Amino acid sequence: MTIILKTERLTKKFGGLTAVDHVNMTLSKGELRCIIGPNGCGKSTLFNLITGTYKPTSGRIAFKSKDITGKPVHIIGRMGIGRKFQVPGIFNQLTVYDNIRVPFFRDQRRSLFLKPRKDSDIHQKITALLQKINLDDKACLPAIHLAHGEKQWLEIGMVLARRPQLMLLDEPTAGMTAAETRKTAQLIRNISREEKMTILVIEHDIGFVREIASRITVLYKGAVFKEGSYETIQSDEAVRKIYLGKSR
Amino acid sequence: MKSDISTIKSTDISMQRSVFWQPRPAWIAMGLAAILVLFPMTQNDYWIVQLTQLMVYGIFAMSLSLVWGYGGILCFGHAVYFGMGAYIYTLIVKGMIPGFSGILATSIAGLLTAVLCVSLFAVVVGYFLFYGRLKGPYLGIVTLAIAVIAERIAVDWYYIGGYNGLFSIPPFSVAGYEFITPIALFYFVLASSAIAYLLLTHIVQSPFGAILRAIRDNEARAESFGYNSAQHKIITFAIGAAVAALSGALFAIVTEFVSPTLIGFGLSTEVLIWVALGGKEVILASFLGALLVRTLETYLSELMAYYWILFLGVFFVAAVILFPKGIFGRWLSD
Repeated sequence: MTIILKTERLTKKFGGLTAVDHVNMTLSKGELRCIIGPNGCGKSTLFNLITGTYKPTSGRIAFKSKDITGKPVHIIGRMGIGRKFQVPGIFNQLTVYDNIRVPFFRDQRRSLFLKPRKDSDIHQKITALLQKINLDDKACLPAIHLAHGEKQWLEIGMVLARRPQLMLLDEPTAGMTAAETRKTAQLIRNISREEKMTILVIEHDIGFVREIASRITVLYKGAVFKEGSYETIQSDEAVRKIYLGKSR
Repeated sequence: MKSDISTIKSTDISMQRSVFWQPRPAWIAMGLAAILVLFPMTQNDYWIVQLTQLMVYGIFAMSLSLVWGYGGILCFGHAVYFGMGAYIYTLIVKGMIPGFSGILATSIAGLLTAVLCVSLFAVVVGYFLFYGRLKGPYLGIVTLAIAVIAERIAVDWYYIGGYNGLFSIPPFSVAGYEFITPIALFYFVLASSAIAYLLLTHIVQSPFGAILRAIRDNEARAESFGYNSAQHKIITFAIGAAVAALSGALFAIVTEFVSPTLIGFGLSTEVLIWVALGGKEVILASFLGALLVRTLETYLSELMAYYWILFLGVFFVAAVILFPKGIFGRWLSD
């Protein structure tokens, strides 16, 4: 298996607090991986390091064997890492359709000051994406009017539109109902299978993790605590103690 | 709100296309243009002159609408571009810049140079503002400081007229024809307004405009798609400055004089009020906002002497509460 993402002794300190502590992690192409861990264990910081929002204190990040440590956000975005934020990162004033349309403009060969041709296949792609995320009947609605769960799906759709090689999902089911959570798990499994996309998910909801994950990384106090399949992790006494046991 | 959600069903392709096509503002713009084109037939010279000035302010307001309403850049020093445009144009056509003579001192050259210089200036300012990651109130304070500095320079610089400004600007002339009569100036400014409106509308409806609104709504998200937000903001800033410079130069052409008040903090805040009242997220609404507030000012100051500003303040507060999207913005957006 080709390795798509590799972190080496990745560390981030905020003053005296070490949020991410010498994390070594490798992700193979096409893998679906969950990161779990108690609050404040550095999951979101790890994402922020990978996407370039924060610069690491020390350590390296390699994406497709290229060093991306400390590169600016938009450059890393262009290289093929897509991210879904914890708080839905959508464009509130734009319609659902335009939300999906914005990421497509990067592929437009014509000047961005010219209107796109109406007969372009982008419209088909957008419609297909909207169907995939179950929002095709709300295309004309300003995104701000969507329900919370729908906003999360919209953002997944927006990230998908960029066709990233690696998709980072930060708590995609936060604030969702049980039914929405199941639907989201199904959506992510489908994307992983159909698009052959590498997906890294941060999640709290253990039910969700059980449904989707092939492999789990447990973070604790900024460091990798344990790695393995759902069964291994679930039956691990130490993990249960720091995380699973408490949340049940 | 609920009924909105349930009534909009649009798997149908033609309906989704309508997302990009907003007919109403276009029709209203055409209607307004028709009224303005026919207006001189009333032969009401007072209002022809008034409207000419109002349209100059309208162009200025439209430029801020792009920068603030679409770009999300709250600029407290937009009049710097207006004033610079007016001053540069004046200095050139009066032959006061060494080296600018002959063809370089003509009206057209003055207009083009003013627009070009000011947008270059905006690129430089924008570079520091946006790569410096200034946002919100911080950006407002810095732009405000720039406006105050610009006004001080204009007041204290004797060569460009100092406190008194510059007078007797020669009339705008193209190939021997001079725009002197109110009607000629009226149509000249009307044509400029139309060009500015069409240019700005085209920009905001283009993919660039959509990206700009996306950056305004959620900068981190737009950047993660690979868009360089600082670069987009600088381009927007430069276009806004160019249009503001055009309106400044038109002001100099129409009123035949320039003074430091054009470049300072006072006009900068006034234009913010016009645009906020009209509707900052709609180009045409901002234009109408400038027309409305300036007209109200004229009427009210005649009607109630010093108290007009109090009334205007109350009107402003009420309008912001009742119409958060602007008085015209509500009707002109789809």
